[in-house]
Amino acid sequence: MSDQSGTPGAAPGGTGGRTGAVTLVDQGNLGPRTSEGSSFFGAVTPIFRFLYSLISKNFGALLLALIVLSIFGTFLQGGATLMGNQIKNALVLGAIYALVAIGYTMVYGIIELINFAHGDVFTVSGFYAIFIANTLHLNSLATSSFGGLLLALAIVFPLSMIAAGLTGMAIEFVAYRRLRDAPRLAPLITAIGVSFLIEGVMLVREGPDYVTTGQASWINGTAFTIGKVAVGYTDLFVVGTALLLMFALGAFVQRTRLGKAMRSTAQDRTAALLCGIDINRTISATFFIGSALAAAAAVIYSINYGDVKWNIGFRLGIIAFTAAVLGGIGNIVGAGVGGFLIGLIYVFGGSLIGGAWSEALIFAILVLILTFRPVGLFGVEVTTRA
Amino acid sequence: MSENGQPVVAIAADTTTVTDKVIDLRAIDVYYGRVQALIGVSLEVRQGEIVALIGSNGAGKTTTLRTISGLISPRKGQVLLFGKAIQGVGAAQIARLGVGHAPEGRRLFARMTVRENLDMGAYSRGDRAGIRTDLERVYTLFPRLRERDSQLAGSLSGGEQQMVAIGRALMSAPKVLLLDEPSLGLAPILVDAIFEVIREINAKGTTILLIEQNALLALKTAVRGYVLENGAVALAGPSEELIASPDIQRAYLGM
Amino acid sequence: MVKPTKGVLSIASIAALGVLAACGTTSTPTSSSAGATGIAGCHGTITVASDMPLTGGDATDGPFPAYAAQLAVTQANANKLMGGCTLKYISKDDSTVLKNGHDPAQGAANITALAADPTVMGVVGPFNSSVALSEIPVASRNHLALISPANTNPCLTAVVAVCSDPTIAINTASLYPGPHTYFRVIASDVQQSEIDAYVAYSVLKAHTIYVFDDQEAYGRGLALLFMKYYKADGGSVVGSVSLPGATTTFSTQLSVAQSKGAQAIFFGGTTGNGCGLVRRDMGSAGMNIPLLGGDGCEDQLFITNANSGAKTSEANGSYATSAPDVTKLASSATFFSQYAAAYASLPAPYNNGTKEPYTAYGYDAMNILLHAINSVLVGNGGQPPSSSQTFRDDVVAALRQTSYDGALGHTTFDANGDTTNTGFTLYKVTNGAWVGVNTYAVDTSGNVSVKS
Repeated sequence: MSDQSGTPGAAPGGTGGRTGAVTLVDQGNLGPRTSEGSSFFGAVTPIFRFLYSLISKNFGALLLALIVLSIFGTFLQGGATLMGNQIKNALVLGAIYALVAIGYTMVYGIIELINFAHGDVFTVSGFYAIFIANTLHLNSLATSSFGGLLLALAIVFPLSMIAAGLTGMAIEFVAYRRLRDAPRLAPLITAIGVSFLIEGVMLVREGPDYVTTGQASWINGTAFTIGKVAVGYTDLFVVGTALLLMFALGAFVQRTRLGKAMRSTAQDRTAALLCGIDINRTISATFFIGSALAAAAAVIYSINYGDVKWNIGFRLGIIAFTAAVLGGIGNIVGAGVGGFLIGLIYVFGGSLIGGAWSEALIFAILVLILTFRPVGLFGVEVTTRA
Repeated sequence: MSENGQPVVAIAADTTTVTDKVIDLRAIDVYYGRVQALIGVSLEVRQGEIVALIGSNGAGKTTTLRTISGLISPRKGQVLLFGKAIQGVGAAQIARLGVGHAPEGRRLFARMTVRENLDMGAYSRGDRAGIRTDLERVYTLFPRLRERDSQLAGSLSGGEQQMVAIGRALMSAPKVLLLDEPSLGLAPILVDAIFEVIREINAKGTTILLIEQNALLALKTAVRGYVLENGAVALAGPSEELIASPDIQRAYLGM
Repeated sequence: MVKPTKGVLSIASIAALGVLAACGTTSTPTSSSAGATGIAGCHGTITVASDMPLTGGDATDGPFPAYAAQLAVTQANANKLMGGCTLKYISKDDSTVLKNGHDPAQGAANITALAADPTVMGVVGPFNSSVALSEIPVASRNHLALISPANTNPCLTAVVAVCSDPTIAINTASLYPGPHTYFRVIASDVQQSEIDAYVAYSVLKAHTIYVFDDQEAYGRGLALLFMKYYKADGGSVVGSVSLPGATTTFSTQLSVAQSKGAQAIFFGGTTGNGCGLVRRDMGSAGMNIPLLGGDGCEDQLFITNANSGAKTSEANGSYATSAPDVTKLASSATFFSQYAAAYASLPAPYNNGTKEPYTAYGYDAMNILLHAINSVLVGNGGQPPSSSQTFRDDVVAALRQTSYDGALGHTTFDANGDTTNTGFTLYKVTNGAWVGVNTYAVDTSGNVSVKS
């Protein structure tokens, strides 16, 4: 009884039934267009239709081939050193995109809202981290010894994440809850309004320029060198922490009571209610966790780059959203992988054809996904419910 | 009808004049926007009964169940659960008060496994031992589900999905079970099996309010029945009386 | 922060300041006293104006040259530079609330209003090149002299190779529907980029370079000109990239620069658009090569941003060229002390003219305008020419003959209205602060030499 047309041909390893289980959204309406569903392609010759379905079915493989080709192109252009450096750059960037993308995907999964304010929660969290580190004098603690660094991290991560989580919950409570049953456009516009509001407050409070976080000196030094590529401890920290958090989230959603409540609420709110699940609390929790992950990304960003600015979350947010769509909106694993893929596309595209085109390339990919594969690379099998 | 054409087992309960009303609807009016779906519906379900709700499509059967489980609030009238007014309490809370609802269209969590779906049914329970017992009971009632417990619910056949829906509702250890069209879209042999299980569940003490398209089957399973027409109760009474009624025979039993 | 409004520059304060200024006008150029005797019988009113962004985000910049211009008028009145004629001053603000700062549309409206007044003989301004683009045509059509203290965009006065670049896209000829009435007392980015190229190739000895720009007219223009002159000097540009101002990380491009063996990085753009972040990321990438920027990089924010990464002293060793530090010029000392005396009652920072690089430029621009008007009066028998338009044309003609010694040193204008007083100072971050290294001048054939 199930229509497996949505199973991606090229999804990298382990995308069986279990991947679908981590998906928060019903993507039945996002399924790849069939010939009768698309008047445009349906009207054109069968060759076009054939090409369309070919691209649609092999979208992941094509994208992967493109990425591999551009990595190879970079190798030809600048040798192993350049290629290695760019892979490092891409993974660092991708880790941050991935964490932010997960917040988009979780919220979309559960209330089908593109939470435009999510990128700004990232920025606010950067300022929370600065405030926490300065108030508790973590900068001197973190640079004093390795134990001090671990302690500082053990303080700044949870505190920033809790602060951001509460911010996310407050945004949901104030701006979105009342509009839950309103037409989709209403909360979407509200989300944009919340985004502007947060940016405005930050511009007034923090000024128009980059603010030094003071956290870039927490971690430095070269961990090891492969050929001529120096991998810093910061690079390992960024990618490692992001992966750790993503696996922790995966386990949380898969195994815990609240995680299951979130998944079931995303799949069928009415049925979840009938099971005795408190929908408001579950949605609040989703905002809390998504925002907390954005805060983790912001702390990682603070430590890696050392600067935050009132509007950095805007572009970063849109790129992360693209990552979420690439992975299949609503799919947590998809968002994680999508983040890293977007990091690779951003860096290698920028390296090969000039950085001015990096963002254009990202949005071109977005258009291609929406045209050829609206469910994303990891989209779920479109299940017919009797 | 096949070998299950026997009179209802639980009829004995009726003779002992059960007074405590599990569900008591008092003249409820329900609206969807401006459209009135229920007009002064009064209905009661007593401890240990199976009550059938029959009527044509759009008569308000599903709405009645949705009102009881709190998915929709009546504009007028009272919903009493064990004698306490529950209108406006909220569906999640009502579920915790002991109302299990296997809704129209089954509404399974399609991308969760069978086991996870059943676990979600027990979401608001804390007694691990009791949950294990009930899981065992569901697996005993529906051995098919044990075989498929790690399959995604969305990949099951219609009959299996219905089993999960009923099983999930049972997992909350409900005092009263609301079943919305358990036979819809099932092969006849499965219909019989499902109704067999419904009787078994009732025999173990769970009160049941049942909506069923197949009126004869429903009335044969139930002790009493209500007939809804255009959002209002048109007829009510013991099942045998309804089955014997010429109006019912003409309109619903195709005789 | 106190945001001065037009009201601050009231007639009453001019009168009060006049007394103050009259007590200490030792440095007022000598030509004025010579001319004053012949024009004692002058009749009528002559008005000069300034147009600067005074409010919003520009409140930290624009008021300084406006105050300086006002000081020049006050001193001219005290010295009877216009003889018997009345000299009036109008201050215009080209900021709007909408733009939270300078607004080209407001600038054009200001010049239109001033041109409608037949007594207005010239305007000092504007501050921003984008405003100049909308004001120059209005001034030209009305034959009104416009002298900018701060516009560095080369395309405002002459067609150079970069004007047709899509980022800049300025059609210089269309700016002048009437006579060429626009002048500036600051050198343009052509001279700056020639000096930058010289610094990169001959001073820093970098023979290969990677060039960033911030996609804006200033930064892109500077980068394109830089590449042109750097190649002409014999250098090799191994790569270049235009990135939006919101770019937060430059590591991808720096890796490319590294692999191509760049011996230096050039950044055309402003600190707000990433100049300091490039330096920060160079530290993370372990690149020990110099970064060179233009005047958009030479500020405190650059040092803050560059030092925000893992290496907290990464800013050290960065270079930028910028307008000469006029506070160090002997010729400016008297002006800054007069400014401080005249505006002692203003709140900080406006009571100290050295707090903004363009203060002295505003002062010299107004003085040059006033002396041009004076020379027209003297040449016309001590009276204003009969028609306003003739008067304005004569003022523009007199401006072309300018040979003025003021706070900035000696100023003359070339055929395009550009100053020939072209100096740029090379600054280097040393111990966390920008320190002037050398000031370079460039002659009309592009030869760069050390000025001081």
